Amino acid sequence: MTDQETARVPLTPTPVTAPDRRRRRRRGGLGGYWLLLPAIAVLLIGEGYPLVRQVIMSFQEFGRAQQFGAPPEWIGLDNYRALFTDSQMWGVVVRSLVFCAVNVALTMVIGTTFALIMLRAPRVPRVVLQVSMLLCWAMPVIAAMTAWQWLFDSRYGLINWTLTNLGLGDFTRHNWLIEPLSFYLVATVIVVWMSVPFVAFTAYAALTQVPEDALEAGQIDGANAWQRWRFIIYPSIRPALTIVLMLQIVWDLRVFAQIHYLQGVGGVPSETHLLGTYIYTLGVGQSEYGMASAFALFVLVLTLVLTARYVHALLKAETV
Amino acid sequence: MKLSTMTRAAVVTTVAATLLAGCGQGSTTDDPTDDATDDAAADEGEADDGEATDGAEETDAPAETGGEEASGETITLWLAGETDTPVELEEWLVTAFNEETGATLEVQRIPWGELLERANQALPDPDNTPDVIEMGNTQVPTYTSVGAFEDLSGLLGELGDIGPEGFIEAGTYEDTVYAVPYYWGSRYIFFDKAAFSDAGLEVPTTLEEFSTAAIALREAGGDGFSGLWLPGQDWRNGISWIFAHGGDIAVKEGDQWVGALSSPESVAGLTQWQELYAGASTAPQDGKDAEAWVPFNNGEAAMFMAPSWARWSVEETRAEDLGAFALPGVDGGVAPVFAGGSNIAISAQSQHKELAADLMRLIFSDEYQTMLAENGLGPANPEFTALMGDDEFAQAAISAAENAKLTPASSEWAAVETASVMEEFFGRIAGGEDVATVAAEVDTQLADMLNG
Repeated sequence: MTDQETARVPLTPTPVTAPDRRRRRRRGGLGGYWLLLPAIAVLLIGEGYPLVRQVIMSFQEFGRAQQFGAPPEWIGLDNYRALFTDSQMWGVVVRSLVFCAVNVALTMVIGTTFALIMLRAPRVPRVVLQVSMLLCWAMPVIAAMTAWQWLFDSRYGLINWTLTNLGLGDFTRHNWLIEPLSFYLVATVIVVWMSVPFVAFTAYAALTQVPEDALEAGQIDGANAWQRWRFIIYPSIRPALTIVLMLQIVWDLRVFAQIHYLQGVGGVPSETHLLGTYIYTLGVGQSEYGMASAFALFVLVLTLVLTARYVHALLKAETV
Repeated sequence: MKLSTMTRAAVVTTVAATLLAGCGQGSTTDDPTDDATDDAAADEGEADDGEATDGAEETDAPAETGGEEASGETITLWLAGETDTPVELEEWLVTAFNEETGATLEVQRIPWGELLERANQALPDPDNTPDVIEMGNTQVPTYTSVGAFEDLSGLLGELGDIGPEGFIEAGTYEDTVYAVPYYWGSRYIFFDKAAFSDAGLEVPTTLEEFSTAAIALREAGGDGFSGLWLPGQDWRNGISWIFAHGGDIAVKEGDQWVGALSSPESVAGLTQWQELYAGASTAPQDGKDAEAWVPFNNGEAAMFMAPSWARWSVEETRAEDLGAFALPGVDGGVAPVFAGGSNIAISAQSQHKELAADLMRLIFSDEYQTMLAENGLGPANPEFTALMGDDEFAQAAISAAENAKLTPASSEWAAVETASVMEEFFGRIAGGEDVATVAAEVDTQLADMLNG
């Protein structure tokens, strides 16, 4: 079924004909919903209980004493009130949004570029590129972070040594983490480095599905490279890119391990918190579970709002 | 390319799941793997309000069990840090416990960085709680106040003479002792004897002389060399300068905590520390107290300050010239440093309290106290302190410990540590900000946090 459909790719969106629509509806049936059951069950068991618990906790005064059995006090919206009037919290939200936007944009552009390179590159360089990307994708976060930390180390780091020896200035004992902007630069390099392979592979897979004949036809009609990308390739791989974009937004908004690790190594934590680390410090660190739950729910809503457009686009594509 | 209906359905589901999972995880207890901050985070002590503990009433002490009836049962002991208690001590405990009670002792070593989180999860749960748990002495007050530990008043009499007093205070809540000292350590100065003799320096006897020596060593050592390796955010060593000048982090006035960093004494200490950082150290402004021996091993520092066990991390080639002395006080003598060490307690949820009490008796037995001392861990029972040896390292450790002080005994102190308040405070001073201004700011923050 898949082969049949994907092979029948129209060059321009064709108006959907009535028989086509009927055929799809018939195929949908109830059977498909049964197939969703396991996924829904896993979601309910794995996420349902914690989510409900979290919602309840966000309306409670829940600290370490409650963890050891003291009855939690219902305080209504107090946690939310405290949160929304906290200037540090808004700082964290703004920083996270900017960080997310920059990282997602860089990751998408670099990832898609790599995919295009893979498509054109001869076999050997392509395989080398693919293997290297697979390796950085497969590398455990903490192992990767340790290597990056050594690279950026102020005294013994390769990066300071290289920059100094290239004559780009005196980077002896330059501290990359002490200024928040520079801290985020390092974090961005690492996060983008870790995310590019996924985007590149997905985009590459989509690119291999772009019909050769359409490209040829475009070329014969005199479309230049940019036009071929804009009017043939991009529309074809757009669904795949949309999904990846959405995942990247979610991942980069809740980035935790990399920031938490870097904060442990250096920098000024209170000036470099993002959503994940701030909630962690609030909850696990200071045992303010009520406040942390309230903030986490806010982040959930924020994520849904940010990705709503893309979810909507996907669902719309579904019902065309 | 169009995705087929099924593919799209699958994708939408996956994405929905990821969205939910993403947010769910990002919430309260997300902890992928991190542990960058842990090592030093935990081994310190607190409590300085002189509550009398000896007046504690005799309460229902865990009763003694005799031998055979306990056979087949197992109790669990959590030791903090993966190597802090030497293996032979653990083996001795396991064997002796089995001989004594017939029951089995299972020892689990919990890394410092995971200790609080795992204790939070396990201690309230009767099925999973360790029966006996070791905990850093800054961490203990956080748990005594919420009823996590068993009242030890009845057992105290059987444990013999124990101290240091500050550790007992750390384990006391509302006049009841819940956690007793396990071992103590102290921070002192490690130095390169060759560097001192090359520069024609003697071991300093006052804090002022110490600064002069450290600055002279830096100047003698050339670019990038530290007279004293003094990382900017290393507050655990840094507060010694506050204590030495008679200052404090926070003091209790009535029932309120008041920040004391901006007191004239504290400011004098911090100013001296700031000058020392600027003049004697090339350590990063955001450096912490982990692995202070690395620059020393690399020949990039003439001195560093660390707990006694740091000695074993100095490379053999450098060990020859390695010396030690306790940080000198303002007018000579020994400066009060930050006391390190652990407390040990019985979980309130333990299902084997009698056996747990037996284990405590073994830990405070003469044999075990001897072994602690011989392994360089300060024994709770002062009778055994002499067994730590009489070389300069043992002497430095013992004299530093005599004057050691602890962090404020507020049950909220753990929040100050996890929010890195002290790290950032010292980092800003190292960055050259005005001491009095920063101190006043942080005092407000401390009062907020410590009063809950």
